[in-house]
Amino acid sequence: MTHLSPDQIVDVAEGCAGGAAKAHAAECASCRARVESLVDAVRLAESDPQAEPSPLFWTHLAARIGEAVRRERVRAPFWRSWDRRLAPIGALAVLLMAAGIGLRMWPAPPAGVAPAQEAAAGDSAQAIFESAPDVEAADDPSWLLVSDLSAQVSVEEAEAAGALPQPGGAEKAMLQLDREERIELARLLREAIGTRAPASPPGPGA
Amino acid sequence: MQPDWTLTVVPSTQDESGRDAPLSELDDRRLVEVCLGGRVEAFDVIVERHQRAVYRLCSRFVRRHEDAADLTQEVFLRAYRGLRRFRGDATLTTWLYRIGVNVCLNQVSGRKMEETPLEDAPHLAAASDDPASSLARTQEGARVRAAVARLPRKQRATLILRVYQDLSHREIALALGTTVGAVKANFFHALGNLKKILAEEAMRKS
Repeated sequence: MTHLSPDQIVDVAEGCAGGAAKAHAAECASCRARVESLVDAVRLAESDPQAEPSPLFWTHLAARIGEAVRRERVRAPFWRSWDRRLAPIGALAVLLMAAGIGLRMWPAPPAGVAPAQEAAAGDSAQAIFESAPDVEAADDPSWLLVSDLSAQVSVEEAEAAGALPQPGGAEKAMLQLDREERIELARLLREAIGTRAPASPPGPGA
Repeated sequence: MQPDWTLTVVPSTQDESGRDAPLSELDDRRLVEVCLGGRVEAFDVIVERHQRAVYRLCSRFVRRHEDAADLTQEVFLRAYRGLRRFRGDATLTTWLYRIGVNVCLNQVSGRKMEETPLEDAPHLAAASDDPASSLARTQEGARVRAAVARLPRKQRATLILRVYQDLSHREIALALGTTVGAVKANFFHALGNLKKILAEEAMRKS
């Protein structure tokens, strides 16, 4: 004969067992004893009464939990508390990256240029113009075409067409020029203001 | 076939007639939505509604009233932090019980429980007018409580949820993340062990 399983005994003790389990418990003394033992144990467990706090306690507890929840709410997540500490490091990293990119983009000085002159070349756009070797003016047809066309356009028309540079645009454009373009720009500027740079860097005895 | 879109329900406290319903009139699921929508007062209502059940659960795991209050606060704080994880598969009560059992078992095993029975705390209401029977019941209750505390973790949690919190086997299964069959088997063995521990204790004293 198969006796009742623990969950069937629980079902019989709680009065929710199926017909077969109930019938077995009625016939089997062993299973009936286990059911009675279980009911007795439940009664024993229930003999530990629930202590009830005073009604005021609930108001106090609810207020206390409410305060704790609100403290939790205003407390910033850890990544937000860290970002202030990490901000200087982040800024430094950005600066270093920018400096690295700038150095890579900066044109290398021509071979044979003195170190002092090389340093001066990095100082400013003016320094570039001053240190750039003179090149022969090449009358590029495309430059002439652009020059002719732009001479026929008034400033107002250019502004209406959005062709005028934005503030800071000249500096931005300068940074995008490659070495050859900067040298050419320097030559054009010198030509426009009527000065000429020395054809070669001054020698030590000059 | 499942749709590839999801429907987002915007939390609203308005009833069918369009008027703002008081938070205390909303059901638990709606309160959770409103709280997730940024109104922390909705959580106050949840606390108000469930603090007794959670406190009673916690007070079954610890002896001191202060410890039970601390554990209750911890349960609600964890619930608040994890409110987004409440999907409504179970009732909010069952979900809180689940958190409560985890908090209690972890906290209780992590520190030495105080030996002062809850009934000795002066703020707790006396359950009986007759001092002799009250004392006898207190002693019996303390004996049972000590025996329950010696049960294995799952058996202890199952017995507490079934006998003292009056949860169904299905609710206990949801709260403990197990099956109904396992809950019944645990309950059966918990009661058997309880009787055994109490019998051993009685023999030792005699």
